[in-house]
Amino acid sequence: MSAGENMSRRDELEALLPFYLNGTLEGDDLEAVEEWLASDPEAAVALAEADAEFAGAVAANEALRPPADALSRFSKALEAEAVPARSQAGKSWLANVWERIAGLPAGLAWATAAAAVMLLVVQTALDTGRQGGDFEIAGEQGGVGAMPFAFVKFRPEAEMADISAFLMENGAAIAGGPTAGGVFRIAIPAKTAADYDRLVGLIAAQPFAETVSEGRKPSNGG
Amino acid sequence: MTNDTDRDLVGRVAKGDRAAVRLLFMRHHARVYRFVARQTGSEAMADDIANEVFLELWRQAPRFEGRSEVSTWLLGIARFKALSHLRKKSEAWIDDDDAAAIADSADTPEVTVMKENKAAALRRMVDALPEEHRTVVDLAYYHGKSVSEIGEILSIPVATVKTRMFYARKKLGEALKAAGHDRGWP
Repeated sequence: MSAGENMSRRDELEALLPFYLNGTLEGDDLEAVEEWLASDPEAAVALAEADAEFAGAVAANEALRPPADALSRFSKALEAEAVPARSQAGKSWLANVWERIAGLPAGLAWATAAAAVMLLVVQTALDTGRQGGDFEIAGEQGGVGAMPFAFVKFRPEAEMADISAFLMENGAAIAGGPTAGGVFRIAIPAKTAADYDRLVGLIAAQPFAETVSEGRKPSNGG
Repeated sequence: MTNDTDRDLVGRVAKGDRAAVRLLFMRHHARVYRFVARQTGSEAMADDIANEVFLELWRQAPRFEGRSEVSTWLLGIARFKALSHLRKKSEAWIDDDDAAAIADSADTPEVTVMKENKAAALRRMVDALPEEHRTVVDLAYYHGKSVSEIGEILSIPVATVKTRMFYARKKLGEALKAAGHDRGWP
């Protein structure tokens, strides 16, 4: 033991007695205290004093009473707390789904993404509907399934939040996929070939897009 | 669920389980509250800081590495927050009730314990110790912490923990002796 320079061996042993009493002493320190207690009658007196101090310290602490409503107030504060970074407070549920997918190996991630696709279709379509959009979810007459589309492969590091925001902003939606190669079918809200080309070009320019290929395109020249 | 260890509960908190942090609150709040109250001399401040400690647990649980006991980790957070609050707040922050709870320095400990029995005297003597000495006494006797855990909580070397404990106990012995109580101090 190498305590303060002004402490004698006896002083050091006195300083260790509280830790002997609270059961945390071990190794050489424990051995030294036990040896002292066994060989020196004064050690037993010192131990009794430490025991009295123990009681005094406990009584002094327990005299302080926490407020009875502490837990209920804490619970309210806790409920007001955002869920920390582990679940990305502030991001949409779509972003969270995407983030979980992104944490998987690339192949598995895209396969898993398929399960989220239809949710995304519904969410996107519903949100677009609220905004006065003119298409419906896949399967309904005149819905996403009937729209022009393009084939898009997203970059592995793409953020669902970015994709979701882009699609909603432009009235587009994931209409199917992914294929084994990770390609999604994106419904394009274009009535003319010119509109189609503009939107597909816009998708290709996004950082989340890896490859974009033309699919069903409006036939008129717009 | 209630058989979960503290570490199990922190693991659940790390996954966003609010019930788990409430269980930890129930287990440790009183000790954290008392620790801060004795650090700051203010129960009002202790109430605020203890709440903050458990909110910090909620926020920081994913970063808990399990190298120390959860109670030690919480007391370390409490110590840091108490010191931060004390730096920000002036003495005037302490209200009258809190001030009344702090040992009256007008009377010497020897005078105030004259008519008390030894147990009551020791309690008052512990309260009257300088903060740095009282803290190691509290952490060892009341919180059951080891030398190394106290060093971790207070961010001081273990040799300093032992030195502070020695002087704390020496002061207690001298004060008791002056008050007419026997003590087996050399």
